[in-house]
Amino acid sequence: MIPFEYHAPATVGDAVAMLAARDGAKLLAGGQSLVPALTYRLARPGVLVDINALPLADVVRTNGHVRLGALVRHHVLEESPDVRRWCPLLAEAVAYVGNARVRTLGTLGGSLAHADPAAELPVAMVALDARFAAVGAAGSREIPAGEFFRAPLTTALAADEILTAVDVPVTRGAGTAFVELARRPGDFPLVSVAAVVAVDRAGRVADARVVFGGLAGAPQRSAPAEDALRGHEPTPERIAAAAHAARRALRPETDVFASGAYRAHLAEVLARRALRTATNRALTVEVR
Amino acid sequence: MSGAPDRPDLIGQRIPRHDARDKVTATIAYAADWAMPGMLHAVVVRSPYPSAQIRRLDAARASAMPGVVAILTAKDVPHNTLATDVPGQTTTVGPLRAHLHVLAEDRVRYQGEPVALVAAETLEQARAAAEAVEVDYEPLPGVFDTATALAPGAPRVHEAGNLLAEWRIARGDVAAALAGAAVVIDGEYETSFVDSGYIEPEAGVAWIDGDGVVTIRLATQVIEHYRDVAEVLGVPQNRVRVIGTYVGGGFGGKEDVTVEVYLGLLAWKTRRPVKMVWTRQESLLSRAKRHPYRLRYRTGASRSGEIVAQQVEIVGDSGAYAYLSALVLLYSTVTAAGPYRVPNVAVHARVAYTNNPPTSAMRGFGAMQVVFGYESQMDRVGAALGLDPVHVREVNALRRGDTLPVGQVIETHVALPVLARRAWDSLGEPTPPRAPHVRVGRGLACNLQPYGRIVWLHDWSSAWVGFEMDGSLVVRCGAPDVGGGQASSLCQIAAGVLGVPLARVSVHISDSALTPLSGTTTASRQLYMSGNATLKAARELREQVLGVAASMLGVAAIELDLVEGEVRARDGRTLALKDVLAGCARASVPRSRLAVYHAPAGEPIGFMKVGGPDMAPHTPQTLAHGPAEPGRGSGKVFPDYTFGAHAAEVEVDTETGVVRILKYVAAHDVGRAINPTSVEGQIQGGVVQGLGYGLLEEVLLDEGVNQTTSFASYLIPAAGDVPDVQPIVCESGEGLGPYGARGIGEPPIGPPAAAIANAIAAATGARLARLPMTGERVLRALGALDGKDG
Ligand SMILES: Cc1cc2nc3c(=O)[nH]c(=O)nc-3n(C[C@H](O)[C@H](O)[C@H](O)COP(=O)(O)OP(=O)(O)OC[C@H]3O[C@@H](n4cnc5c(N)ncnc54)[C@H](O)[C@@H]3O)c2cc1C
Repeated sequence: MIPFEYHAPATVGDAVAMLAARDGAKLLAGGQSLVPALTYRLARPGVLVDINALPLADVVRTNGHVRLGALVRHHVLEESPDVRRWCPLLAEAVAYVGNARVRTLGTLGGSLAHADPAAELPVAMVALDARFAAVGAAGSREIPAGEFFRAPLTTALAADEILTAVDVPVTRGAGTAFVELARRPGDFPLVSVAAVVAVDRAGRVADARVVFGGLAGAPQRSAPAEDALRGHEPTPERIAAAAHAARRALRPETDVFASGAYRAHLAEVLARRALRTATNRALTVEVR
Repeated sequence: MSGAPDRPDLIGQRIPRHDARDKVTATIAYAADWAMPGMLHAVVVRSPYPSAQIRRLDAARASAMPGVVAILTAKDVPHNTLATDVPGQTTTVGPLRAHLHVLAEDRVRYQGEPVALVAAETLEQARAAAEAVEVDYEPLPGVFDTATALAPGAPRVHEAGNLLAEWRIARGDVAAALAGAAVVIDGEYETSFVDSGYIEPEAGVAWIDGDGVVTIRLATQVIEHYRDVAEVLGVPQNRVRVIGTYVGGGFGGKEDVTVEVYLGLLAWKTRRPVKMVWTRQESLLSRAKRHPYRLRYRTGASRSGEIVAQQVEIVGDSGAYAYLSALVLLYSTVTAAGPYRVPNVAVHARVAYTNNPPTSAMRGFGAMQVVFGYESQMDRVGAALGLDPVHVREVNALRRGDTLPVGQVIETHVALPVLARRAWDSLGEPTPPRAPHVRVGRGLACNLQPYGRIVWLHDWSSAWVGFEMDGSLVVRCGAPDVGGGQASSLCQIAAGVLGVPLARVSVHISDSALTPLSGTTTASRQLYMSGNATLKAARELREQVLGVAASMLGVAAIELDLVEGEVRARDGRTLALKDVLAGCARASVPRSRLAVYHAPAGEPIGFMKVGGPDMAPHTPQTLAHGPAEPGRGSGKVFPDYTFGAHAAEVEVDTETGVVRILKYVAAHDVGRAINPTSVEGQIQGGVVQGLGYGLLEEVLLDEGVNQTTSFASYLIPAAGDVPDVQPIVCESGEGLGPYGARGIGEPPIGPPAAAIANAIAAATGARLARLPMTGERVLRALGALDGKDG
C-alpha cells in the first residue's frame, strides 16, 4: 500500500480549493481509469479528492441544449430518454464503452478529462460541437470541445480546474452515427468514427462532420471528408469518395494492436459505414 | 473374487462438483489467500535485458533499506542448479539433462530471468528494495528468431550451440510416393507465441513447520517439486513438503517450478514464513509459454483422396532454456501426420534456443501446433480433389490396428469418422450472410492427442481409500486439482464402488507429506492414472469389507452387495456398514487400502539427444525407420490417444477482416464420461482457449523484450468473444482410464485454430497460414490490404 490522503468535499468550491492547495492532488470520479492507474503504480498522487458527492449528476434539457453534469454515469447517458432523443450520437457512442461494470461507475467528466486518445465520448463531443464548463481557482470558463483535447491524456484543463458540465447542442435536422472496431468487443477501439450529416430540402448535404478516434493523440476532424460531402447529394459514390479522402489525410501509427496501414484502411471502411447510416437517418428522421 | 461386481451407479452422472460452490462463493483459500503470523513478503529481481553479462551485483544498499530481512543472489543458493527434465519424474530419462540456474550467475538469457530474491516485512518494502538492488549489465548480442538462431555464426545462447533437440521419422518412401501422387499440396504455417493466461498468477507461502520440515503451500500441478527444492537446499528430500492448493488454472504453466524454490530458499534462510505472489505483468513476462512453430508440409494424395505421403518440417522456439522443449517436440513429431493412416512419412523436427522467453508445457503439449498444419493441408487436399471435408477425413482416418508413422500400433477404437460426421451435421442449416460484405463458411478439423505420459517414463499413481468408523469415506490422493474436477471425480469413483452417498465422502489431495503420491496433473493423465489407482483401492477395499460381512452373515461374499451405506445379502438380510466396520476391527481386517496403478510401460524407441549447457554435442535422432524392428522397441510412445473433430461456422467481414464465430461444435470420444458436466466443461474451456490461440492471443516481442505484459495488450477471449460451444461427448468405452475413460483435459484445445482457418477459406477462398488470424491478417490474405504483416 502506498498511503495517500482522501477527501470528499461537498461543494465544487471546496474541491477546487483542495486541488489548488495541494500539489499532486487528483480528482476521483468513477475511478475506472484512475484506480487501475493507482493499482499499477502509474499514478501515485498524495491526495485524492473524491467528487462523487458534488451535485453534478443531472441531465437537463435547456433551450437548444442538453446540459450534462460531469458526474453523469455512462449508463445514464446510455439510457436517458433526453439523451436518446436529443443527442442520440452520445447514447450510441457510450454503449461501446467498456462493459456494463465500467459503465455503471464511469462518468462523463472522468472520460473527457482523462482524454484517452481511443475513448469514444471525446470523439462524439467534438462531432457534436459541445462546450465544456470548467471551474478553477481563477473562476469559471467555457471551452469548445474542439479545443479541449490536446494530446494523449492531456486537455485544456489547468491543474486546479474541475470539469463541471458539458453543454451539447440538440441534434436537429441531421442524422448521426457512431461506428467503431475493437480487437474484442468492449476494448478501446482501434478506430472509431462519429458522423453528423444534415441534408437540405434539395437533398444535398448542408453540413457534415466526420471525427475519428484512435488514430492520433486526440479526436481528429476530417476536413477532406466534410468538404467532399458539403453541397453534394450524399450518394453511395459520394460517401465512398469522402471516406477515401479522409483516409488519404490520415497517418495513423502502428502499435501492438494493429498496424498503421490497417488502421487507415479501417478508418475508410468505418467512415463509409458511419456516413451511410447518418445519411439514412438524416433522410428518414422528421425534421424537428 | 469376493463380492458381487460393483455397480458404478454414479459413473456418468452429472454430479455437481463439491468445489464448485466454494469457488463461486469465494470460500476456497487459493494460494495467494494464505497468510501467517510474522510472514515476510518476497519479490524476484529480474533481468530487464534479454541477453547480457552481469558485471557486478551489489545488494548492500538494498539490504540496508527499512524492513528488508534477506536478499539472496546466486552465491547464497546452496545448489544453484535446477533440473527441469520431466517434472515429478521418478525414473531417469536417458541423457536428457535440461537444467538452469535458480538465480542467474554471470549471464542472463531472457528478459525477466531471476537474478535475486528479496524478502521484507511488507510487500512495498520488498518492492522498493528490489528496485534498489544494483546490477550492472553489459548487454550482449542476442538471437530472437529460430532462423537466425540456427544459421551458422549466430550468437550462442548456450555454449554448446543453439540447436537444442532434433527428431526425425522416416517411414516408407516419401519421394516416390509424392512423385506418384495425383495432387501435391505445399503449405507453410506459422503458429503464435502464447501464454497460459490463467486467472491465478503464481503464488505461495512457505514456512518451517514445527517438525523442521520446509513446508510450501502453493498453486502447482506437480507437488513432487518438493524434491527439487530439497536438492537446491541440499537437504534430504523428506525434509521438504509441498501442499498444493486448488489451482486457478494451470494449463502446463504450473508444471515446471514456479515460486516453490524461491520460497523454500527464503524460508530456509530467514526461518520465517514467506509469501510470494507474482504480479500479472511478472507472470506474463517470465513464465514459460507455448512454442511458436514454423511448419512446412508437403502432402501427396491419390485421386480418391487417400493421403499417400506426408513430408513435414518443424522448427520450434525454445526460448532461453530447455525446460520440456525436447519432449514437446517429440509430441509434435509423433502426431505430425495427424489422425490418419499415411504409409510414407518423413518428419524432421528441430527446436532452437533463442533469447526469447522460455517455452515449455502448455495444454496440448506440441500435439497442438501441428494440428494447424495437418488440418489446413487436409482441407486443401479435399478442395483440390473436390471432396467434401468429412469425406476426405473418413477416407484417411486411422483405425484400430493401424500403425502411426513412429511405429506405434493403435490398440483402441478410433471413432474419428463418426465424430467428424456428427460435428459437421450438428452445424445444422447454413446461416445466410447478413450483409453483402459478409461471407459465411464452414470448416472442420480433427486431431489426436496422447493422454498419459510417454511409456518409457514408467508412470504410476497411488491412492488411499478408507472408511471411518461411522461409515463415512476418505480418499487420499496426491493429485493436484487444477479446476478440471480431478478431486471430485475421484470421490465419484470411490463412492460408486463402495456404495457410499457422495455427501459422505471426503477427499484429501495434493500434499506430498500426507497424501500418497500420484504424479503430475499434466498430460491429461490424472483421471486416467489416479482414477485407476482410486478404482483399484476402492475395489480392493470393497473385497475386504464384504469378506468380513460374508463371515458375519455366514454366506459367500458373492451373495453380497454394498449400497447406500449398508451390506445387502441376496436373501434379503442387511447389515449396517458401521457394524461391518466394527466387525473388520474385531477381525483385524484393515478398513482402508492403498493402491498403486502402473501405466503400461515401454522401452525408449531411440534415445534422446539434447544439446545445451554442458551437454554432449547434439546429433540428430531418428525415431523410426521403416517398420519397428523386433527387439528395438515396439514403436510405442504413448499409452493411448484421444480423438476429436470440431466444426465451425464463421462469418468474415470482407471489409474489415473481422471473423465472428456463428456456430461451434466439438466432438470427442472420451471413452467414458465419469461426470459429463466436467467433461463438457473441459471441452468448452479447451475450445475457448483454442479460439484465443486461433484469433486473438499473441506474445509480441521486440528483440526479446515483451510488449504484452498485461491483459490489456495480451488479449485472451472475453465473454463477448466466445460463441456457444456445443460439446458432443461420444463414449466408446475403449480408454485406458477407469471404466474405459480417456483423457480429455488437453484434446479440445487442438482443433479450433484449424477449424476456423478452414471455415475462413470456405467462406472467402483465402487461406490463413499464420496465427492468430487477426482482422488485419485476414484482410491481407484477402488481398485487400497492402504492406507488411503487422
Ligand atoms: C475494463 C475497462 C474498459 C474500459 N473501456 C473503455 C472504452 O472502451 N472506452 C472508453 O472511453 N473508456 C473505457 N474505459 C474507461 C472508462 O470509460 C472510464 O470511466 C473513464 O475513462 C474515466 O471516468 P471515471 O469517472 O471512471 O474517472 P476516474 O477514473 O475517476 O478519473 C479519471 C481521470 O479524470 C480525472 N477527472 C475525473 N473527473 C474529473 C472532472 N470532473 N474534472 C476534471 N478531472 C476529472 C481524474 O482526476 C483522473 O485523472 C474502460 C475502463 C475499464 C476499467
